[in-house]
Amino acid sequence: MSPTVAAAGLARALAAIAGEAYATEDPARTTSFAIDEVVPRAAVEPGSAAEVAAVLQYAHARKLVVAPAGGFTHQHTGGIPERVDILLRTERLKAVEHYDPGDMMIGVGVGTTVAEVERKIGPHQQILPLETAQPERSTIGGALATATHGPLKHAYGGLRDYCTGVRFVTADGKIAKAGAKVVKNVAGYDLMKLLIGSYGTMAVITGASFKLFPRPPQMRTFVAQFARLAEAMTFRDHVLGSPLTPVCLELVSPHAQAIVAESFHPVSPNSGETRVGPPGETWRVLVRAAGSDRVLARYRAELGAAAAASEMGGDDEAQMWRSVAEFPHTLFERSRNAMLLRVDVALQDVAPMLEAAERAALDNSFLCAATGRIGVGSLLVGFAPIAVDPPSAMQYVNAVSYLRSMTPRDGSAIVLRCPLEAKRYFNVWGSTPNDIGTMKALKRAFDGEDILNRGRFLF
Amino acid sequence: MPRSRISEELREIAGAEAVLDGAEDLMLYEYDAGLSTGTPQWVVFPETTKQVSRIAQLASRMNVPLVPRGAGTGLSGGSIPRAGGIVLVFSRMTKILEIDAANRRAVVQPGVVNADLSAVVARHGLFFAPDPASQKASTIGGNVAENSGGPHTLAHGVTVNHITGLEVVLPDGGVVQMGGKAADSCGYDLTGLFVGTEGTVGIVTAITVKLTKVAEAVETLLAIFHTIDDAANAVASITAGGITPVALEMLDGKTLRCVEEATHAGYPMDSGAVLLIELEGLREAVTEQAEAVRAVCERHNAREMRRAANEQERQLLWKGRKTAFAALGRLAPAYYTQDGVVPRSHIAKVLRYIETVAQKCNLQIGNIFHAGDGNMHPCILFDMRDPDQVKRTHEAGRMILTYCVDCGGTITGEHGVGMEKNELMPLLFSEDDLEVMKWVHDAFNPKSVLNPQKLFPTPRSCRETNVAGGIGGSR
Ligand SMILES: Cc1cc2nc3c(=O)[nH]c(=O)nc-3n(C[C@H](O)[C@H](O)[C@H](O)COP(=O)(O)OP(=O)(O)OC[C@H]3O[C@@H](n4cnc5c(N)ncnc54)[C@H](O)[C@@H]3O)c2cc1C
Repeated sequence: MSPTVAAAGLARALAAIAGEAYATEDPARTTSFAIDEVVPRAAVEPGSAAEVAAVLQYAHARKLVVAPAGGFTHQHTGGIPERVDILLRTERLKAVEHYDPGDMMIGVGVGTTVAEVERKIGPHQQILPLETAQPERSTIGGALATATHGPLKHAYGGLRDYCTGVRFVTADGKIAKAGAKVVKNVAGYDLMKLLIGSYGTMAVITGASFKLFPRPPQMRTFVAQFARLAEAMTFRDHVLGSPLTPVCLELVSPHAQAIVAESFHPVSPNSGETRVGPPGETWRVLVRAAGSDRVLARYRAELGAAAAASEMGGDDEAQMWRSVAEFPHTLFERSRNAMLLRVDVALQDVAPMLEAAERAALDNSFLCAATGRIGVGSLLVGFAPIAVDPPSAMQYVNAVSYLRSMTPRDGSAIVLRCPLEAKRYFNVWGSTPNDIGTMKALKRAFDGEDILNRGRFLF
Repeated sequence: MPRSRISEELREIAGAEAVLDGAEDLMLYEYDAGLSTGTPQWVVFPETTKQVSRIAQLASRMNVPLVPRGAGTGLSGGSIPRAGGIVLVFSRMTKILEIDAANRRAVVQPGVVNADLSAVVARHGLFFAPDPASQKASTIGGNVAENSGGPHTLAHGVTVNHITGLEVVLPDGGVVQMGGKAADSCGYDLTGLFVGTEGTVGIVTAITVKLTKVAEAVETLLAIFHTIDDAANAVASITAGGITPVALEMLDGKTLRCVEEATHAGYPMDSGAVLLIELEGLREAVTEQAEAVRAVCERHNAREMRRAANEQERQLLWKGRKTAFAALGRLAPAYYTQDGVVPRSHIAKVLRYIETVAQKCNLQIGNIFHAGDGNMHPCILFDMRDPDQVKRTHEAGRMILTYCVDCGGTITGEHGVGMEKNELMPLLFSEDDLEVMKWVHDAFNPKSVLNPQKLFPTPRSCRETNVAGGIGGSR
């Protein structure tokens, strides 16, 4: 507990900023906001950027540690916090700041959930190609802070490609912005890039603007199955080299299939026992195509018999993609003691990394279940324990060390989520980036007191 | 340290033939393609990262301004040594270090000319997507610094969407590797942050770029309209209608007539505006989209639609677009190109406003621009020998950009702020916004040795001396 403020004083001060109803230090509430079992001393829900600024000014002056929080879908990522004095919830920052369907741009408060944005733009046949797991809970702020992406990244890129502007509050409580509400802009530094994927360590984002895209009127998915990973990769290279321009090019590993299928019929989290079903037989490559019947006919011709044999369309197809996007969530529904890594590598390193992951799993009594954007080089690699008894921390550590030892120099393998006991034994972020000195200099410039998510990021 | 000592040290670092310090040689580096000027004391042509690093150390130690320069095609004075000092030119760092077709990446030195990279990787069926109209001259280092766009930005994105890694020399001489070949890397996205910093935070010495697959089919259409309003409304309908052209460019009637006289591209002399529309992708998809575009244009009263029947006709249509500024330039001794962006539904309104500005300021203004992005390029014609015209030109530019901002837009979509629009930054950004950006600047470049007096508005105390920097000079 921070010596600088008496406990009761903190909630009172926060209530003075955000209102009685929106500040609490009642353990019954704050316990539900624990991050890695660290319970925040107080929680506050500011209703505007100005209130966020007031909270941060207050915290900054007293060196209180602040953890920004959206829908709590990604709080398990990052190092174990040293302490959390104030949990700053973005729940009330839900305004639609601008939306003119004709301009295909939207600006929203970061507390808006992904599903709320989808409902707003859906009637205009527009999409935000974010496709996160748990869209009803995931907030725009959380997606930005964690640089989340889904299968649509293959065609539309990531948040860094379609977020055009941000509004934020700095650690010392300055309200600021960068970027613009139009599709193209080079005025000023691109602080969107600095904030996206910064895990709430640079500033508290309060609003953001995005490019939207027309929703393809017709989509269909071709499912190609292969006995061996190498064949799946050959197929991927064939697709990448062909004239086709699929919207998704996704791999589902044999064990991931059971998990992806499971999300149609969610099961409740069990007590450590794993229920990853009998291993799937094949590596699946899903090719999602958008276009007219003639375009789809061309896909059939180009993809060859293997893929054209198995097609999905209509609601089934949409459902299937939803469940692929849910994989990082469903993995833990299935197996509470699972571990999930985000692996980013160059295209030709995808197969070696997946082989290394299979090996790491086998040697440490896990099943490896992976999905990923294999046309981009972004994988989600899950490790589900085989044994009924929870694995020892060392099994996780060994699996991660092995995978990291096989990661190429410019690749990365970040542990997004794992049991707390295991987290105590390794750095979830992995190897030190070459440019860490520069990152630290920027962190000092933005948050010299280190009040934002202290101890949870790389350094 | 006396000037001659610095010359000596620079020669020792980069070689005797790689340093210029004679007045007549330096004059060549006073300009870029915009209107600002400034004279360097030295011009150095480094050959290696190591040399760049040592030069940066020297500049830092001596507090001498250091300004990187690519091909000097910039339009906002980014490479102009506003406060004198050393200009670093990358014409000896022009190697393509690696082509990794299997990973869709190339690693290049900053002096590689944009179009050269695409030409070299063409045999793999790949190209480098950012295509500024200056791509036959401009360098990838300059593209990275400006986050350049181009006609095909609409579908392919701007430079930053195609850069995954950078080697950067910091102003103190430190060398940093940012990112790599992977699309995403661990930690802050410094690569993304760096692109578009206009040479104010570091010097790029190697660049890892994405390579994009060349599409199987391309279809280029010219839609001819009686009025600018019809053309502008067609633009909004095309983008909002779920059609995604790779390029959607507009030329107004005035520009058309100049271009036609200069290039004989076959543009109609008597129309209000034309749209140059390009579709790319799978053959079947392109054919269908072309039909959809035709239908939209006809709905907006297009008087005629033409289609390039072959590559030669396509190149001719594009030639008109790519040489349009030069063609307009024939009407006056100089031109000043603006680069504001507005929401696409506001294009018609903004074009009408530009016309009233032209009348009010008694100037000729042509419009050739990336309509699909809402990126306006009003091109103001003037004579720099006439101080009153220069003043009116300046005023017209300011009025237009202010209007773009009022429409919810921005002051620059691709040309950068540099020393040409830095005083306009407060139109968009509050003091706090700018201060936060300054934190980034100072974390990299605390002494402002690198490219000083750019991008940020001049602090009030020094404003008197610099306010004239925005426009003037020759061209
Ligand atoms: C006819 C014409 C058409 C144009 N069309 C377009 C267009 O369609 N789209 C567009 O976006 N722009 C366009 N431009 C503007 C210009 O070509 C681009 O900004 C281009 O990227 C500049 O490249 P350059 O090599 O000439 O750089 P320079 O003009 O030499 O420098 C530009 C900036 O880059 C910095 N810089 C250069 N090299 C480095 C390095 N190695 N490290 C760090 N900083 C560096 C400089 O300091 C300066 O700030 C056009 C210009 C002309 C003249």
